[in-house]
Amino acid sequence: MIGRPVDRVDGRIKVTGAAPYAADTKIPGVTCGYLVTSTIGRGRLTGMDTAAALASPGVLAVYTPFNPLKLFAYVQEQNDERFPPLQDTEIRFFGQAIGFVVAETWEQARDAAGLVTATYDQQPPVTEFPGRTLQAFEEVEEVVGTQTVGDITFTASYTTPFQHHCAMEPHATVATWNGDHLTVYTVSQGALLVQRRLSETLGVDAAKIHVLSPHVGGGFGGKWGNWAQVPLACAASRALGRPVKAVLTREQVFAMAGHRPRTKQTLAMTCTEDGKLTSIVNDGVTSRGLGGNWSESVANWTLTTYASPNLRVTKTVVPLNLGAATVMRAPGEANGSFALESAMDELAAQLGVDPVELRLRNYATLVPNTGKPWSGKHLDECYRLGAEEFGWSKRPKQVRATADGDWLVGTGMATATYGASRGQASIKVRLHPDGTASVSGTAADLGTGQYTVFAILAADELGIPVTRVRPDLGDSTSPAAANAGGSNSTCTNGPAVQVAAKAVQTELITLATTNPRSPFYGKEVSYRDGSVSSGGLTMSFGTLLTTCDVGGVEAVGTSPRLVDPEHGFRSFGAHFCEVRVHRLTGEPRVTRWLSVCDAGTIVNAKAARSQIQGAVVMGIGQALLEATEVDVSARFTNANLASYLVPVHADIPRIDVRFLDHSDPVISGLGAKGIGELGIVGVAGAIANAVHHATGVRVRDLPITLDKLL
Amino acid sequence: MHAFDYAAASTVRGALDLAGPGSAFLAGGTTLVDLMKLDVLTPDRVIDVNALPLKGIRLHDGALRIGALERMSDVAAHPVVRSVHPVISKALLLSASGQVRNMASIGGNLMQRTRCDYFRDVTSACNKRRPGSGCPALTGVNRNHAVLGTSDSCVATHASDVAVAFVALDAQVVLRSKDGDRVAPLEEFYRLPGSTPDRENVLGPGELIAEVVVPVLPWARHSTYLKIRDRQSYEFALTSVAAAVDVKRGVVQDVRLAAGGVAAKPWRLRAVEEALKGGVAIERTFAEAAESAVDGARPLAHNAFKTALLKRTIVRALLDAAGAR
Amino acid sequence: MTTSRRQFFGQAAAVSAGVALSAPAVEALAAEPAPAGLVDVVFEVNGERQKLRLDPRVTLLDALREQLGLVGTKKGCDRGQCGACTVHVDDRRVLSCLTLTATLQGKEVTTIEGIADGDDLHPVQRAFIDHDGFQCGFCTSGQIMSAVKVVEEREVRTDDQIREAMSGNICRCGAYPNILEAIKQAKAGDR
Ligand SMILES: Cc1cc2nc3c(=O)[nH]c(=O)nc-3n(C[C@H](O)[C@H](O)[C@H](O)COP(=O)(O)OP(=O)(O)OC[C@H]3O[C@@H](n4cnc5c(N)ncnc54)[C@H](O)[C@@H]3O)c2cc1C
Ligand code: SF4
Ligand code: FES
Ligand code: FES
Repeated sequence: MIGRPVDRVDGRIKVTGAAPYAADTKIPGVTCGYLVTSTIGRGRLTGMDTAAALASPGVLAVYTPFNPLKLFAYVQEQNDERFPPLQDTEIRFFGQAIGFVVAETWEQARDAAGLVTATYDQQPPVTEFPGRTLQAFEEVEEVVGTQTVGDITFTASYTTPFQHHCAMEPHATVATWNGDHLTVYTVSQGALLVQRRLSETLGVDAAKIHVLSPHVGGGFGGKWGNWAQVPLACAASRALGRPVKAVLTREQVFAMAGHRPRTKQTLAMTCTEDGKLTSIVNDGVTSRGLGGNWSESVANWTLTTYASPNLRVTKTVVPLNLGAATVMRAPGEANGSFALESAMDELAAQLGVDPVELRLRNYATLVPNTGKPWSGKHLDECYRLGAEEFGWSKRPKQVRATADGDWLVGTGMATATYGASRGQASIKVRLHPDGTASVSGTAADLGTGQYTVFAILAADELGIPVTRVRPDLGDSTSPAAANAGGSNSTCTNGPAVQVAAKAVQTELITLATTNPRSPFYGKEVSYRDGSVSSGGLTMSFGTLLTTCDVGGVEAVGTSPRLVDPEHGFRSFGAHFCEVRVHRLTGEPRVTRWLSVCDAGTIVNAKAARSQIQGAVVMGIGQALLEATEVDVSARFTNANLASYLVPVHADIPRIDVRFLDHSDPVISGLGAKGIGELGIVGVAGAIANAVHHATGVRVRDLPITLDKLL
Repeated sequence: MHAFDYAAASTVRGALDLAGPGSAFLAGGTTLVDLMKLDVLTPDRVIDVNALPLKGIRLHDGALRIGALERMSDVAAHPVVRSVHPVISKALLLSASGQVRNMASIGGNLMQRTRCDYFRDVTSACNKRRPGSGCPALTGVNRNHAVLGTSDSCVATHASDVAVAFVALDAQVVLRSKDGDRVAPLEEFYRLPGSTPDRENVLGPGELIAEVVVPVLPWARHSTYLKIRDRQSYEFALTSVAAAVDVKRGVVQDVRLAAGGVAAKPWRLRAVEEALKGGVAIERTFAEAAESAVDGARPLAHNAFKTALLKRTIVRALLDAAGAR
Repeated sequence: MTTSRRQFFGQAAAVSAGVALSAPAVEALAAEPAPAGLVDVVFEVNGERQKLRLDPRVTLLDALREQLGLVGTKKGCDRGQCGACTVHVDDRRVLSCLTLTATLQGKEVTTIEGIADGDDLHPVQRAFIDHDGFQCGFCTSGQIMSAVKVVEEREVRTDDQIREAMSGNICRCGAYPNILEAIKQAKAGDR
């Protein structure tokens, strides 16, 4: 069963509109919360006038820093806001929450929020990047070897702009209290992340906070953190004694719910005449939003990709008056790979070597910065299979060599790799008298297919059809499983599902042999394909439970964190693409795509392929379309889905995906690594390389828009 | 969105009677409702005009007449429009999305407001929205802004696609008020921003667009609408060109050209038209003629590329329309 | 002046704005005109007659979600920029976020909840499952409502035409290639 294409188990409820997302929660008497946000980028609030809003129809309360809902300071870093909302008057970024209006209806709350006015003591916000900064500090990330000499040298700088996750579901939270128990329906990449945050800031025992997040309309990192609407909805609900629903507007999501930081990487590489790298230095600069603490390791991808005796990577952080920068699909690596994969292409051209060949010549058989062996790596096979299927050998060496009518045609390729790790996870499997099995853990399915992974693995272990497994995700009362982040959901939770599904068989056997009502009482039994057998008697677990009049048996299985200092763990892949650029008007369009992935065991071939395709689509956006602009006021000026351009159907060609069939036995018995982020790494580089091949123009600043190609 | 009084009118007279200062006509709502949610427009009264008889697409007196309440998708699909003025159909089909086109009316389309992000954000200054408050686009983010017909007060583009096709074809609009009908060439219906960017057109308060009248031009069957944008679809134009050319024996007899995405209003390219007439219909002629398209252009920090792009868009559109390939 | 208007309408709206009155309540009120600031609308949703007395600011999207309990239709932007809220009004695909409910007098609305035939999925729904035409599922209602109409459009035939016709429905998960395959399957069955 593992590895075959399986329809999503949540398919039916998703195509009928029945899957419940946070904002769909229906609670009688629910009120509506609407955020008021700052209209300056830096300074101090000196006053707010809420009288008109309070007098506005339907308004129940208006909270501000001058009339706050008490929230305790955040203790742990969660890649989100540093400070809980409304607790101080300092303005750190444009669009920061400065008020929360609660009214009977959404229309009333929205209108009233517009009536709140604020006065400020304003200071000029810092928005320049790299530019003059508040405090720039250099962190030397890692140095291996010290030589930077070689026969050939290559140096160039690459930049990437601010980008936004733009999950289709805006951030929503619905909170309701029953005595001192809080139930919160919210968007999240992990119910426990919300529970922990709320426990800190509300000062409530985590055991009394029930977080439900069964379906999430996309996350991509943007729903890892908890943004202002989460604590405000909960605290306002407590204060008012009414359920409160708060949904960010799309514009608010842009301003306050995280973004991918801006980066600049300056690469200096040396190599021998036959193209063997002798040193790579990558000086990375990245922005940090003053709304948060997090910054990405922009240049680190350089440490683990190509073999080189000398490696040096630095990181300089530039704090800006913006909301928190946060993790976004392949943080660090999506940006990091754009620079190195472009540079490898440039170096290949300089040397007159084929880009695939250059990568093979610098193939890292050991982890470049540690010298450790890989747990499993078949990247060379990805290159070779990809090149063959794509027809790479027919590629003209010259740039600007192919045209189809008025369209210049070029092809490009790049390497993809993304870190893999296995954390600890606990999963509960319960067998029911109706013959079904439920599988629960606090994990989240943001569209990744985690529900179906749970169902497949449990069904496989229990020997029953997938349709008889009922996965149950996104509930904080379940055993603690992996949050959806860092591409390690399946790698971490998968083995735990297997352990739990095994453990429950032992429980069932104990019941069969010790329950006096059981026909197997006192006998030797075995379990196979959903049934218990002994001698000539076989009985399905459903019938057995019914016969014994037992409501179910269950077991929690825990798969421990993998501690393996001996190996390096990553998923690998290679992208090949064709791009067309109009000779007159310059617009670049991707017309062909192939990704070959080496990511260990693939649990569901169907959803896995979709994950890679989806990541490539986002990478096409990163390469050609996406950039959030900031002006001197420190606002993101194009904070909406008409001006911030994500790909639409017409931008996306057929995307072919191949998975190599190599399990990784070192990472787990299951052998699965991660695929959620792998697919976006290298995409922008492959496209930049194809654009160069088509036009002869090298664009080192994303996105590659037509104005750069005229 | 502020509260308002809603009224549905069933006759033109009724609609005009209901109209007053602070009222707004509601057709498809794709501009009005959007901007009301953003508090950019705050009418006291919304008058639903969808039941008014301002409908119909027909050929009459040598002109194509399109009722103001016809939907973009219906106009685009109409056989008469497609055969007489395919450029209108193409411009519409490259606008917005299928859903928006099913809702939006032709009258509303001509009245749509600029997509300048500062205009749409009430926390920002904007001379068009709040006269005298300033224009942050002049020095701010202005990649999508205009290079032609702008002023020191406003550099926004007019965002309609079909208006560009209409202006190329010398379309007129029939305006209806309590005082009766008047007719204005669409090109003159729109005003340049000057020092009053808040006044975008000559429509009087409580006046309706009743109809668009497009003269038939037999050779305009060879016409095209070319829209250049970063995203392949569902985006406004960086540049666009409506082109109709009459080529006989390889020589340009007559031509109509207008541009979008680059100017404060749909921009007729008369100088380019003149330069093309009598020329050989080849790329070089087109490129030379296109040079004059950007006379007087005032590029900003991020949109200087639009001058080059406009010229190339013109060349490409002419090649398409002339069937030069 | 503005203030007094707002207060006037506002107070009326405060009484029952945004609240769907039960059928008998509307029946009782039907004789009387709606109080100032509110409007009565009678229309059909998924074949069922609905009578609402509402704040005229309420969009069709919010009426469906907040008043009629039909939460399958999603709000991705509330600005006409994403397509998540696509429904059919009088058999055409439109954006419910830019449609004021007040304008729907006598119209027929179909939502994602109304296209399956009981337990039998609509062929487009089936095709979305077959081809994995979604990931998170948030854009899916809108994609399917759009696709149902695109499948019917005879002029839309080639892959590129389907892509263009579907471009008003953004999918950030990037399910586009699979949605295309789903639509092709549904079109093949439709012929
Ligand atoms: C996401 C998005 C993308 C878009 N992309 C494009 C695009 O690419 N190209 C393009 O051209 N357009 C585009 N549009 C704009 C769209 O075409 C317009 O919003 C639409 O045409 C307006 O028509 P409507 O009937 O909906 O107008 P409404 O919103 O009903 O009205 C708009 C304005 O016109 C007034 N009005 C309406 N009818 C009349 C009349 N008969 N007489 C006088 N005044 C009237 C109204 O009072 C209001 O002020 C896009 C819109 C959206 C939301
Ligand atoms: S360009 Fe015009 S619309 Fe935009 S901010 Fe300036 S004045 Fe306003
Ligand atoms: S919610 Fe209506 S188009 Fe986005
Ligand atoms: S399935 Fe997630 S946005 Fe389309």
